[in-house]
Amino acid sequence: MLAHADDPAQRTLAKYRANGGYRALGKALSRTPEQVTDEVLRSGLRGRGGAGFPTGKKWQFVPKDSKKPKYLCVNADESEPGTCKDRQIMERDPHQMIEGALIAAYAIGAGACYVYVRGEYPHSIRAMEEAIDEARAAGLVGKGILGTKFSCEMWVHPGAGAYICGEETALLSSLEGGRGYPRLKPPFPAVEGLWRCPTIVNNVETLACVTHIVARGAEWWASMGCSGSTGTRLFCVSGHVKRPGVYELECGKFTLRQLLEEFCGGTNTGRPIKGCMPGGSSFQVLRADELDVRFDVDALAKAGSSLGSGGIIVFDDSISAVDVALNIAEFYSHESCGQCTPCREGSDWVRKILVRLASGRGSKSDLDLLWDVTRKMDGTTICPLAEALVWPVQSYLEKFPADFEAAVARRASA
Amino acid sequence: MSVPPGPLPRPLVERIEALFARYPYRRAALLPALHLVQKEHGGWLPDDAIRATADLFGLPDQEVRGVIGFYEMFHTHPVGRHVVRVCKTLPCKLRGADGILRHIEARYGVENGGTTGDGRFTLECFECLGHCSTGPMMLVDDERHENLTAEAVDRALGALR
Repeated sequence: MLAHADDPAQRTLAKYRANGGYRALGKALSRTPEQVTDEVLRSGLRGRGGAGFPTGKKWQFVPKDSKKPKYLCVNADESEPGTCKDRQIMERDPHQMIEGALIAAYAIGAGACYVYVRGEYPHSIRAMEEAIDEARAAGLVGKGILGTKFSCEMWVHPGAGAYICGEETALLSSLEGGRGYPRLKPPFPAVEGLWRCPTIVNNVETLACVTHIVARGAEWWASMGCSGSTGTRLFCVSGHVKRPGVYELECGKFTLRQLLEEFCGGTNTGRPIKGCMPGGSSFQVLRADELDVRFDVDALAKAGSSLGSGGIIVFDDSISAVDVALNIAEFYSHESCGQCTPCREGSDWVRKILVRLASGRGSKSDLDLLWDVTRKMDGTTICPLAEALVWPVQSYLEKFPADFEAAVARRASA
Repeated sequence: MSVPPGPLPRPLVERIEALFARYPYRRAALLPALHLVQKEHGGWLPDDAIRATADLFGLPDQEVRGVIGFYEMFHTHPVGRHVVRVCKTLPCKLRGADGILRHIEARYGVENGGTTGDGRFTLECFECLGHCSTGPMMLVDDERHENLTAEAVDRALGALR
């Protein structure tokens, strides 16, 4: 996916085509939609947005007998802390995503595709608009694509600053012109999504993968990575590392420690790694002694965390787990949409308790209260934003108890 | 004497109406339209512009205000000539975002959400701006500045007029 990322001309249609671009689309259009879906299913591709759901299976949920129009939405609302990969595709090689989106639209029978890009990404918005305009002018977007009967419109839709809109049903609420409120599932968007019509929401990187899968075949894709996590994947490394950046790697072929120590050169501070959040800030932290885990979806799930969106945040031993947890709580309490009481109130309670602890005003009972409040938030809300706060905070409490006890002792000694 | 332009000048209305064609229901064009209206009004949404936009969409203006209030990037109060958004989330914090914010606050005499005395810029301490591998970072209007140091901040903000 990043093969041509360093070539500034790759953004243009001419260069993208010279490198073999849009041949996969031609190939897909010469097959039936079912054959295309089957190819993606056989590749083992799982969504790159965070949940890791098999992409081909998602497409199959679109009811074939529905007379309603069908829609494709590209989730380009990349907002998970630690994640900055979709931006690389949109700004450096946007046509591979457009091509994948057209293939997906063909497979599910969609006649319109909306690319929902977060408002804080003006560069991505511009790059996508330019690329789509160029594709439209060349007959790749619009009516009768590549001389076939397949037609699909494509538009960039800018968000306006709300983390929750990366949750697929919130994205749909926002796209319809409302507040970005998540919806209860079922019905799933594949059955009832945008304007209550069948809708597939796919992540930017997922669709870029689709292009390569159709171009070179499901078997080729599945020969990379490991079972359960096929192909290559983009990883974003941030925090206290010598070489932060976006890396494209095969899943399952290395451990987290190898990635951080060999590829990223260890910490930039010379201090030891204290912990690492391997899948964005919404999942559990791993301690330095837990980094020998193989880097794939299933292995990380077994280790009690998640590969999530591929955002790896590393911190050294100079920072207290209380301060890290507080920063995370500030984020989620700010981004809670406010629909569900446990999340709206609970996230602010958690934040306030952590403020007390971090400022040396916390007591032993605050630790119990943290457990109590977070347990009551878990599983009691419409969308997973509450868990995205609860799981990391509980994991910091569990894995770095000494930091929390030290915070309590600061008050006792004051 | 020329007639002062209303809250939504004709060319802007035409651009918004062109957006309607992209969706089966015009309501879906609300966010893109509000971005255009805000830009037209120097970075914020005055009351009369909100009312005129609501009329254009056939919505009660309270409905439109409810949408505006949900999103961080819309302003309902005047802002400076530029908007400076500094990312404060964990990856940037680990690379020194707190120090960058303190530097801006002290050097330019402005607090989070406030505007400099000369009206040059409004400072916003923002949650994750998605440049985690090149933090600390800030967006100055639509331009990004990565791997920030205090000196780099001064160069970028000093160039603003």
